[in-house]
Amino acid sequence: MIVLGANSDISKKFTELVLQKEDIRKVYLLSSSPDKTINFRSHLKVKYNADVEIIKLNLLDPPKIDFSSMEYSLVFCASGYMGAQQEAVITNNEDNAKITAINYSNLILVLNEIAQDMERKGEGTIIGVSSVAGERGRKSNFIYGSAKAGFTAYLSGLRNYFNKKGIHVLTVKPGFMYTKMTEDLELPKALTITPEKAAKLIYRGYIKKRNVIYIAWMWKWIMLIIKSIPEFIFKRLSL
Amino acid sequence: MAVRKNITNWGNYPKTSSEITHLHDANAPDLKLSHDKKVIARGNGRCYGDASLGESVISTLELSNFIEFDAKSKTITCEAGVLLSDLLEFLVPKGFFIPVTPGTKFITVGGAIAADVHGKNHHKDGCFSSFVESFMLFVGPGEIIQCSPTENDQLFYRTFGAMGLTGVVLSATFKVIAIETSFIYQESIKASNLDEIFALFEDSAEWKYTVAWIDCLQKGKSLGRSIIMRGESASLDKLNKKQAKNPLKVHDDRIKNIPFFFPSFVLNTLSVKLFNWAYYLKQFRKKETSVVHYDQFFYPLDSIGEWNKIYGKPGFIQYQFVLPLENSKAGMRAILEEIANSGLGSFLAVLKLFGKNDSRFYNSFPIEGYTLALDFKYSKKLSGLVERMDQIVLDNGGRIYRAKDCMSRAELTNYIKAESDWFGSLQSERITMKS
Repeated sequence: MIVLGANSDISKKFTELVLQKEDIRKVYLLSSSPDKTINFRSHLKVKYNADVEIIKLNLLDPPKIDFSSMEYSLVFCASGYMGAQQEAVITNNEDNAKITAINYSNLILVLNEIAQDMERKGEGTIIGVSSVAGERGRKSNFIYGSAKAGFTAYLSGLRNYFNKKGIHVLTVKPGFMYTKMTEDLELPKALTITPEKAAKLIYRGYIKKRNVIYIAWMWKWIMLIIKSIPEFIFKRLSL
Repeated sequence: MAVRKNITNWGNYPKTSSEITHLHDANAPDLKLSHDKKVIARGNGRCYGDASLGESVISTLELSNFIEFDAKSKTITCEAGVLLSDLLEFLVPKGFFIPVTPGTKFITVGGAIAADVHGKNHHKDGCFSSFVESFMLFVGPGEIIQCSPTENDQLFYRTFGAMGLTGVVLSATFKVIAIETSFIYQESIKASNLDEIFALFEDSAEWKYTVAWIDCLQKGKSLGRSIIMRGESASLDKLNKKQAKNPLKVHDDRIKNIPFFFPSFVLNTLSVKLFNWAYYLKQFRKKETSVVHYDQFFYPLDSIGEWNKIYGKPGFIQYQFVLPLENSKAGMRAILEEIANSGLGSFLAVLKLFGKNDSRFYNSFPIEGYTLALDFKYSKKLSGLVERMDQIVLDNGGRIYRAKDCMSRAELTNYIKAESDWFGSLQSERITMKS
């Protein structure tokens, strides 16, 4: 399997779960900081006898990677960057460029390379981790949100493109999760899940060939409400 | 930036607000430290009292990678946040086991080193330290030191039992033991008083695992009424048919959680008396033998998640002391009398005879003699009892286990010799201030 954003908590938990459940042994870990992935490679080797390759993937300057020689049929993409979370998002364009590149504009170029290779091979699944933040722009994080909205639309289009070509695309929309990315935020306990639990839900969605899943389930309803608020009211809210 | 959270250890007492920083990379912990604010490593928070609590806490829980395993030399290397339960899930099916384990499998490897945990086989095998070959220690900004008996040996020996005061353990290499089955052949023998249980311990020196449960509310002739459990790793021929189907069975990872804090009146002298009475009478015969799974033998309470909630919101303390062998019997009698008279009942007090200690690990708690671990529901009356017990422990040349301490006299815990400009906990500060 290929894992993009291999250093994220959700990637690690999902990869472990797949190795536990499936007969997959070849793993490619793509990450912006390969040094931090070394022990995880050992972990997968010791625990699951996996054959792991680490590949540097800097999404700010994506390298040419030859996917055709790789042995995989499952792609898990959890690359993401939330940004520096400053007061007003419109003031820091340097960071905003990073946000759009990592979550969307450069990421989809890499995924397109993979998609072409998968199309040639004619089978497989792509799991893309987007975010509920992409469902509606909010003043606190709409650069990230708009990048994720783009990514969600990309995944939806890719699924459509691959229909009847033997390749499945699963869009994952997490709400709050306890991860490295969010450990400095105060999150509401009832709406926040652990990466372990998220990995299990994603795995279930993968097995059942679902198209779009929210993790956890309540986010589907929360977002339904948020999306149905008329714009003239929504624009006055502080969400 | 780190987030502030209210944290507490397993006893739910005391509670503190701490700034928590998570480590994510065992090879390059990115920690900014300052001399004005000491930090302390923290694993899964399964210690008691005020150990591993502080203004600023470094969580190693995310360091959960296995790094190397060699079945031939029976050595494993893993990161500090790996839980013993994770290790068991990995090791047991392969026919291996953890060499030393405390009464819960939900502690981290880093915690096992920091507290230098002991188990039911202390009299045979010593503490966790006896099996550790090396570890990586974060000792200050940008400084990671490999410690082993041949490299930085002083720091290596000093770290065991030092409760995180020498630094943050990032990863460790240690020996595991081979097992034929994951079951334990167990004998339980009732002792009607203290002399009987002491004699049983002395008789059981050849058994690999020994421990006794003692009813602290008994007085007079029944003082020290208890049940000793002694066990050996079971060989294949000891298992019944059902057990033999899966001789290397791993513990069940589904646990029943106690859903809420019990009202604090639920546990009182009467209910503890009833429980202790039922526990003692559950075993009819003087001596019973059985073959039980390791989870039942080593971790009877782990199957009830968050059992600490039965003590209610005020929480509880654990009091564990050891007395030197020559004073053990008289001292133990005095303390048990004190507890029985206080009426502050303790559920499941655990008695154990420690073997000789390895003097190289001078910060380790165990010394040769009897140790007793007790739970007490936290209340205002408790400090008086603790003071009286402390006095007896002190008079008999004993000491207190720091992994459980929160209110004992400093003379009983300042056997630990470790100081650092960077590392300190609520506990170490309390003890230094009182000393």
